[in-house]
Amino acid sequence: MMPSTSLNMNKIAFTACPECDLLLKPASLSVGDKAHCPRCGYLIQRPRKQSIERTFALSLAGLILMFPANLMPLIGIRMLGGAKDGTLWSGVVALFEEHLWGVAVLVFLSSVLFPLLNVILSLLISSHLYFNKPHRHLAHWMRCLQHIDEWAMLEVYMLGIIVACVKLSSTSELKFGFGLYAFIALLIVTGMLASSLDKIQFWRQIEQLNSKNRLSDDTGLISKH
Amino acid sequence: MKSKKSALNQGFIRCHECGCLSKQTDKYSHCRLCGNRLHTRLPHSFRRTAALLLSAFCLYIPANIFPIMTITRLGVGEPHTIIGGIIALINGNMMPIALLVLVASILVPLLKLLGLGLLLLNVHYRWQAHAKKWTIMYRIIAFVGRWSMLDIFMISILVSLVDMGGVAQVIAGPAATAFAAVVVLTMLAAKNFDPRLIWDNQYSNE
Repeated sequence: MMPSTSLNMNKIAFTACPECDLLLKPASLSVGDKAHCPRCGYLIQRPRKQSIERTFALSLAGLILMFPANLMPLIGIRMLGGAKDGTLWSGVVALFEEHLWGVAVLVFLSSVLFPLLNVILSLLISSHLYFNKPHRHLAHWMRCLQHIDEWAMLEVYMLGIIVACVKLSSTSELKFGFGLYAFIALLIVTGMLASSLDKIQFWRQIEQLNSKNRLSDDTGLISKH
Repeated sequence: MKSKKSALNQGFIRCHECGCLSKQTDKYSHCRLCGNRLHTRLPHSFRRTAALLLSAFCLYIPANIFPIMTITRLGVGEPHTIIGGIIALINGNMMPIALLVLVASILVPLLKLLGLGLLLLNVHYRWQAHAKKWTIMYRIIAFVGRWSMLDIFMISILVSLVDMGGVAQVIAGPAATAFAAVVVLTMLAAKNFDPRLIWDNQYSNE
């Protein structure tokens, strides 16, 4: 009883809207509810069914799909007797060869590295939460994930592929590779991943795990003395 | 001038990272949950947004003047600017795609530059009307920013696929770098703008 009261001592029973800073009492939501800020309309929370389990499963699927989507040809082209296959990487390499380093790095980050990190971090966090294993870097990973989120642009890349195909369709013959199907599957999985990851619930779970961890450390210290 | 209803006015600071509230004690405290440094508002939000926006404005000009790619067919090179590429699509009877590229690479960056500029003016001159509408505008700007990368991705695909020596080749131009910088800078500007500044200025909340 004692430790739990000391734990809750600095707990604050309020939240604030991230976009207008209105002080709010957190509502207890069930799946299917949406909590909007009454002043500015910001969507504060939308609880998801089995958020941790789904995030775990989807990030695992995403990690597996990452390999064919990155390594296998997305589209092939046949034009005036020549033929060429394009992967996610070949675009980056071609830009590098034309000395457009800035653009090449940007394309690499937003279409390869950040989506990969996004999936890996989701997997790390959700697996720790799923197996109830505290880790001192959990909060740090979660922060990284929130910052990377915006810069992973697979869906924009897909639109880029469509526009490029339309541009090329009149002058050349196009062939869709296996990589493209893997890429589309990856796109669907990461989209579902983003919507199943309930950030507020994740932070709450991390808080509980960490405080439990801290508590066991404390009792360990006491028993030693 | 802070609104009475705001968490800050009641002595609470919301952590930017994990969203948990802390009591405002001294200036340099850390969030008890995630360990992040606490700030009442995003640090130097106005100045950082203004600086990033100004750089984006400057780069928007070369991004539109210089060719974004050069298409070589049978030895004849033909440089395309962003607008030139759209006109080529219209001439090729590909209206929907032309419209898509027009929205993603001309309208979105332009409206973002103007919109963020207006938001900065709003904060600086403490405009009172329609705080909710301004916040919604900010939300839209923050959401659509990434879609401007469409043109950059399309070029990277074309450059890697159409590479048949003198017969047919696409080479990216200097505007590609400028345009990519505009997209990144406006995204960073939107990220650094703190919409709570709009609400801090509302007299009606006092």
